[in-house]
Amino acid sequence: MLVTQHSVFKQFWYPLMPLQKLAEGPQSFTLLQQPLALWLDHNGDPQAVEDRCCHRTAKLSLGQVQGDAIQCPYHGWQFDGSGTCVKVPQLESGPIPKSYQVKSFACQARYGYVWVCLESPALYPIPEIPEAEDPSFRQIHEFDETWACSGLRFMENAFDSAHPHFVHGHGKTHGDQSNPVPPPLDEISDLEDGILVRHWMEVLNPDIQKKNLNIQSDKTIRTNVRRWFVPFSRTLQITYPNGLIHLIFSAFTPIDDQHSQLIQFCFRNDTEAEAPAAGVIAYDRQVTWEDKIILETTDFDTPLDLQAEEHMAPDKPGILMRHKLAALLKAHS
Amino acid sequence: MKVTDHAVFRRFWYPVMPLAKLVDGPQAFVLLQQPLALWLNEAGDPQAVADRCCHRTAKLSLGQVQGDAIQCPYHGWQFDGSGTCVKVPQLESGPIPKSYQVKSFACQARYGYVWVCLDSPALQPIPDIPEARDPGFRQIHEFDEVWKASGLRIMENSFDNAHFSYVHAGTLGSIDSPTPASVEVFDHPEGLRVETLIPVLNPPEQQRNLGLSDPITLRQTERFWHQPFFYRVRITYPNGLVHVMVTTTTPIDDQHSQFIQFVYRSDREEDAPAAGIIAFDRRVTHEDQQVLELTDPDAPLSIDGEEHMVSDKTSIMMRRKLAALISADAQTSAVQN
Repeated sequence: MLVTQHSVFKQFWYPLMPLQKLAEGPQSFTLLQQPLALWLDHNGDPQAVEDRCCHRTAKLSLGQVQGDAIQCPYHGWQFDGSGTCVKVPQLESGPIPKSYQVKSFACQARYGYVWVCLESPALYPIPEIPEAEDPSFRQIHEFDETWACSGLRFMENAFDSAHPHFVHGHGKTHGDQSNPVPPPLDEISDLEDGILVRHWMEVLNPDIQKKNLNIQSDKTIRTNVRRWFVPFSRTLQITYPNGLIHLIFSAFTPIDDQHSQLIQFCFRNDTEAEAPAAGVIAYDRQVTWEDKIILETTDFDTPLDLQAEEHMAPDKPGILMRHKLAALLKAHS
Repeated sequence: MKVTDHAVFRRFWYPVMPLAKLVDGPQAFVLLQQPLALWLNEAGDPQAVADRCCHRTAKLSLGQVQGDAIQCPYHGWQFDGSGTCVKVPQLESGPIPKSYQVKSFACQARYGYVWVCLDSPALQPIPDIPEARDPGFRQIHEFDEVWKASGLRIMENSFDNAHFSYVHAGTLGSIDSPTPASVEVFDHPEGLRVETLIPVLNPPEQQRNLGLSDPITLRQTERFWHQPFFYRVRITYPNGLVHVMVTTTTPIDDQHSQFIQFVYRSDREEDAPAAGIIAFDRRVTHEDQQVLELTDPDAPLSIDGEEHMVSDKTSIMMRRKLAALISADAQTSAVQN
C-alpha cells in the first residue's frame, strides 16, 4: 500500500509540527506530497495554504507574516488563511483580481501541535486523549523527526509484542530475553476508527528507567491499553504496578510513500520532581532509535494482501489493521 | 550495456568482500541490485541469502549469527544457508510452515574472498589463479571499495596501453612517449589472453618495491580477461620478479562496481614490504578511478556507439564477446520459453 495512491488518506487529520515552531515564523511541511506553508494569524491560530504563490510559484513559506496573512518573499503579495490574496503592493488602484488565490487547507491546533486535513470534511475527528484534559497529568513533548519508513510498518510495530525481545533486548532497553513468547492478548477489539488492545507484558527495568518509574526491581510488569486510530496514530497507555501511568501518543504523518514524520508526546500522572522530563525523554529516545534502525530497513510498500508476507500469532493486531485499511480503501475507491 | 538489463550476468561468480569481514558478524552486499545478507556458518563457510526477512521485510544482515543460521534482528526468526527458516522463537509447538523461506544463493570462499553466483549453475568456474597454488608466491590484499563506474570500463582500461602516458603520467607513464606498446591478443576459453612488452617509468618509491634502480623498466606482461569482470595480469620484471595483479569489478548496479584488487608476488616481505607495494598501487588505481568515474557507465557494445583507435583492439574484442554472450543467452532463453 502506497499512501499517495489512495486519495482517502487526504481525509484525515495529521499533526505536522509543534505549534511552537510557528512562533518563529512561517514553516513548510510536505503532507502526502502536498507542500504546505504554515503560519500563525494574529489570534495565534495556525493557517495552512499550498506552498506556491499563484504569481511566479515562489515558496510562500520563505516569506513573512503580516497581520493575519503570509507575504510572498518574491513580490510581497499577501494571502490570508483562506488562500485569498488580500494585498498586492504593486496594485495602485482597483480591486485585487479574484483569480489571485492559492489553495487553503483545514488547520487547527491541538495538544500543542499543528494539525492539517487536506480534504475536508475529515472522516474522523482528531484522536481524543482524555488524559490531556486531566489536571493530574503533565504533558512531555518527545519527538518531531522524519523517518524513512511507512506509517503502517510503524503502527504494526507499535502493536507487536513479539519484537521487544529482539529489537529492545540483548542488553538494549526493556526487551526481556528470557522468554520470546509474548503473553496472549486479553482483548482485541475492532472499533470503527481503529482497534483497541489490552494486554500485559513483563519487561526489563534498566537503571536509566528505574529513576523514571521510581521502581527499583530489575523487572516490572506493564499493563497496556493500546489504541490505534486509522490510519497512522496510536496511544499506548502503560500502567505500572505502583500506579504510575505513562501514556504515549505517536503519529506517523505521511510525507510521501517513503517518509513519515514521527510526532510523539506523552502524558504522565507523576511530577517533574519525581521524574524529570529529560530522563523520561532520554529513555523513550533510546527505545525509538532501536525501532528506527530496524523499521527503516523494511519495505515502505507494506502489502495489505496477506499472501505477500509470512505471519505468526503475535501479528494479529497488524493483520487486523491491514484488513481495516483494505476495507477503507475499498469503500472509498 | 547495462548489466541489470541482461540476466546472463547473474550466471557468473563474483567476489563480494574479503572473507575476514564476515568474522565481525553478518554483512550486507548488493549484487546486480539484489540485496544479500552474508555470514559464516559454524564450519566457517560463507552463506548468502536475500537480505529481506519473509515476515516483515527487515534486513537480515543487521541480525546475528546463531550456530549455522542468521537471526533476523526484528523477531528473531532464524534462516540457514539454504534460506529455510529453522527457528521461530514465538512458535511454541508444531512445525515451522514451509513457506517461511527466503531466497538463497550459491556462495563459496576462494582466494580469501566471498564469491556469490546469483543464478546457478554458473557459466564459468571462479577463474583459476595458478600463483595462488604456488608456495613460491605470497598474497597481498590491496583494495575493496565502491567505484562509481561500470565493470566494462574498468576492464577495458586494464588492457589499454594508451592511457598510461596521460592517466598515469609520473607513476607509470611518460607524456614524452604516448605511442602505446603493441599487443598480441589470443582467444581464451573464458575470455581473452593478451601478451605485451611495456616500457614503464620506475619512480623511486617503485624502485624499492621492485628491487630495480633503473628509471625506466620493462614489464613482460601476460594479461587475462575472464568475462565478464575479472582481470589478471602476470608481470615479469627484468630481474625475474613476478607481480601478479587480480582486479575484479563486481557489479552492484548499472552505475557502481565493487573494486577488489589483490596481488601475488614472487618476492618476500623482507625484499619489499607489502605496505610499499600497496601504497604504489593505491596511487595508480586512484589515478584510474578519477578518470573512469567520469565515463558513461553505459558502455556501448555496438562498435558504432563510440570512436576507436588501434590500441582499443582488446576492448573491441571484449565488447564483441560480451555482445555474443548476451545474444546467445537471449536465444537460449527464447528456445526455453
